[in-house]
Amino acid sequence: MKLFAGKGVSLLQAQQLAGSLAALSAFAACAVSEELGLALLILFPAALIGAHYWGGRFYEKAQWAWTVLVVFAFLVFAAQVLAGQLDIVLAAARFALLLCIHRLWHRRNQRDELLLLLLCLLLLCAGAALSAQLLFGFAFLAFSVTATWAMAFTHLRFEIESGRGPAGSAALLQSRRIATPALLAGLGGLSLLGLVGSALIFFTFPRVTIGGLRRPSRGVPVAGLGDRIDLSGHGTIADDPRVVLRVRLDPPPDAGRKSLTEHWRARALSVWTGLGWRALESGLAPARFPPPPKLSKARRQPPLVADIEAVAGFSEGVILTPEGWPLAVSFGRPLSARGSALRLYRDAAGDFFYQPVEVGDLRYTVVAERTTPELDLLRGRGEKYPPWLAADLAVPADLDPRLRDLSRRLTAEKDPADAATAVERYLSSTLQYSRELAGEQKDPIAHFLFERRKGHCELFSSAMVLLLRTAGIPARNVTGYYGGEWTDAGYYAVRAGDAHSWVEVYFPRAGWVLFDPTPAAERGSRQEGLWARAVLAWDALQQKWRAFIVDYDLLAQAQMVKQIGSMLSEAGRRLSGKGAGAAQLRLVLGGLVALVVAALLGFALRRVRLGGRRGAMLGIDERRALQLWRRARRRLSRAGIELGPATTPQEAAERARVAAAHELVAAYSAARWGGARLSAEQARALLRGLDRALAGA
Amino acid sequence: MTPDWKRRLTFTRVGRWYTGLTIGIGLAAINTGNNLLFLVLGLLLASIAVSGILSEQSLKGVRVERRLPSGATAGEPALIGLLARNTKPRAPSFSLELRERGGDVEGRGFLVLLPAQQAAEAAYRFVPERRGVHRFEQLEVATRAPFGLFEKSRPLDAPAELIVFPRRVAPPQLQARSSARDGERPEDRIGVGYEMHSLRDHRAGEDARTIHWKSSARAGRLIGVDREQEHRRRVCVLLDHRRLSGAMLESAVEKAAALVEREMDAGAEVSLALCGEGLASGSGEAHLRAALTMLALVQPAPRGPAPAPESGAAVLEASP
Repeated sequence: MKLFAGKGVSLLQAQQLAGSLAALSAFAACAVSEELGLALLILFPAALIGAHYWGGRFYEKAQWAWTVLVVFAFLVFAAQVLAGQLDIVLAAARFALLLCIHRLWHRRNQRDELLLLLLCLLLLCAGAALSAQLLFGFAFLAFSVTATWAMAFTHLRFEIESGRGPAGSAALLQSRRIATPALLAGLGGLSLLGLVGSALIFFTFPRVTIGGLRRPSRGVPVAGLGDRIDLSGHGTIADDPRVVLRVRLDPPPDAGRKSLTEHWRARALSVWTGLGWRALESGLAPARFPPPPKLSKARRQPPLVADIEAVAGFSEGVILTPEGWPLAVSFGRPLSARGSALRLYRDAAGDFFYQPVEVGDLRYTVVAERTTPELDLLRGRGEKYPPWLAADLAVPADLDPRLRDLSRRLTAEKDPADAATAVERYLSSTLQYSRELAGEQKDPIAHFLFERRKGHCELFSSAMVLLLRTAGIPARNVTGYYGGEWTDAGYYAVRAGDAHSWVEVYFPRAGWVLFDPTPAAERGSRQEGLWARAVLAWDALQQKWRAFIVDYDLLAQAQMVKQIGSMLSEAGRRLSGKGAGAAQLRLVLGGLVALVVAALLGFALRRVRLGGRRGAMLGIDERRALQLWRRARRRLSRAGIELGPATTPQEAAERARVAAAHELVAAYSAARWGGARLSAEQARALLRGLDRALAGA
Repeated sequence: MTPDWKRRLTFTRVGRWYTGLTIGIGLAAINTGNNLLFLVLGLLLASIAVSGILSEQSLKGVRVERRLPSGATAGEPALIGLLARNTKPRAPSFSLELRERGGDVEGRGFLVLLPAQQAAEAAYRFVPERRGVHRFEQLEVATRAPFGLFEKSRPLDAPAELIVFPRRVAPPQLQARSSARDGERPEDRIGVGYEMHSLRDHRAGEDARTIHWKSSARAGRLIGVDREQEHRRRVCVLLDHRRLSGAMLESAVEKAAALVEREMDAGAEVSLALCGEGLASGSGEAHLRAALTMLALVQPAPRGPAPAPESGAAVLEASP
């Protein structure tokens, strides 16, 4: 920062700094892929800073050591690639980084600087191949600005050196009046212009791909929907604003609805462990979709189609489904590297899974029957449960007697449907929701129901399950997410903090029906802080980046062309007075045309004015003399006299070998340079004389 | 006349690399379908386009004039000025190279920045190898701004000629063929000279330097002095180049030029006699230039008439 203190930077400093910043941007483009490795992540910035302060001292020193190091690195990377331990693009990126470090410590002449910029460009390309994240986009933006500075300053520096020589250029290169903030801003504007052009080319360049050497994207799963929960935690449940699902619904919810009240089902956990729940162990079978039972007298609504993107690292093989009876699940675009090979499975609890587990974002569509079960239709279905529900009826032997009493009080002599509703209502209305965890308890449910009387969603759902099972009604704990918040990017975002737990109760010939004993106002998360909003905005930006840049393909291109076509056609239709708002459109277009015409007229007038001013620099006789010579020149050329661009009027007259030409040139020279008068009649007479003489010759 | 719109575009070495790399990245993008590579490709192509627009902006509205020295001598450096004027109302021009094109002379100057509505001059040194007419045809204003990828140039008609005088050599130890006395020779009449011719009364309004103070003191009134007109020695340098050509002719011309200069420096009135042409005797800077110009343009004249020396002048014949 001392460079910018007070006096600004010299051209030389600006050029070197811009080169270093371009290298840093290119490095960042690679680093965001998180594949470079910790050593390079630390080494490169350290080398960059070191080179800035001490690079000059080592120029052309210990060259052999660098050569040995680079050759050694090349051999190691090549061996790793051949052995299949290292991806070739990653190896190339790492090697380019090493070369870049070497160049940063050895930069003095034009070749060094240009090689550095070339390596930066290669790094950027490697970054493009390694990562498709939004952060790459920011690194790309930074690179476009810094590389513009670097290229312009490098060009200027070496033009000055070659144009003025080392001695003559020294003062100019050290001058602090060249790399001014105005020039930096101008070059920034230039890079902006470049980015606009880049966007134009990007969107219009035909997306015809060959598809060879395509590199699958990589990622590391960081979390997942586990097959067990533990109720003996300490502390407070913190809101996690990270987005786990991006959801687009068809039909969309009511207009203007900013948040969803939707349960996103992940796993059913049937086995009570004493301190929590775990999933029943069962095998996976190819997914089937039995027809839904009729649980409503109302006319069936059209099914809900939920287009879901499960963010990498959160779904971990589990397919989350919206409320309702799943009718179909299909994988959608964009497909991952293994997209078409994904298979859908379902376990005995009805949970959906896919294999192989995709480590990138996964996109799929769930079609679900949306009919809300009516209590009337759930009643009277009896209590004869099939034997495979044994796990969902199991009650722990050491169950607190108070819980049995409470269960009896709430469910005695009631139909299972009414009993479930009563338990749900009791829990949601008499107990309080709290994000404070109770810590380790011998019996967390009894502690929740009879002592603390407040807790989080898992305690509510666990209590309801145990109360129903005590009454002989099969029930199970279900985990997933609740809610969804609308984003400007056109989807509902479900966040990690929206993790929720609820209950499914089994009714013969109706299947599992959802009950949620957690007070409605407390379900999901309340993420309204600045950080939560920032995370949501970042996710929305990431989605736009992916939708418009990463996933832009021939189909999207065709759609764009189609959209432009239909827009133009609609405009044409309105202009011809056929559509709504035709008058307004005509008004707007008329205004635009008037603006353009006015601008053109202004431009033309300015040119005329400037032209007049330029012309005014010459006197009338001088202008007449110029005109005379132009006309004479044309006549001489037509007469076959060879006139080159360098032929002077005197030479032309000599070549013409006629006295009239000499006379004309003398009059021209006198008027053009000697301040003599030349009237229009004189000029015409001279030209006539020349014509006659040339005809005679 | 070269039209205003005419441009010449060439790749620089960096530009060739850059273009090659762009094609390579384009192929990689098409091959892999990686959109981010398309984005990089877009940036590279856009940079080329922006570079073209800016270089055009730099060249537009720049007028260049050549400033030739009043005289140049073969073998001696001459400074040629190139005056560039940016006539654009607002936009500056960057990194301009001004250079000769198409003529006998090669030279270039460089301007880092030419602000709008301003002029700047660059100069180059030119060492002519031969005497005679050196023609200048066009001036070219070129720029590789902003990135040095391409060079765009605009030719401007600027025909001109520079006459290079013969190379300076030591004058030969020549004696005149006819008898001629050294130095100035006084004539017996009033005129301009150093010797006193006569004394007379000082006339009002006359230059005070004409007062003869000693006589004035003696006479008690102002006495003026008339000087005697001095007659300069007349020398004719003769060059018979009927049988001379190539190096012999050059040597003879150079010696003739040296003689002309030597005699003029010595205060003589010098005339020049060549085959078929001549220069009447005279002195002063303009006469010297006229004589040197004539010698600069001497060509072999195998069939020319014999040189005719000026009558009454001492003749110095230059030979190889």
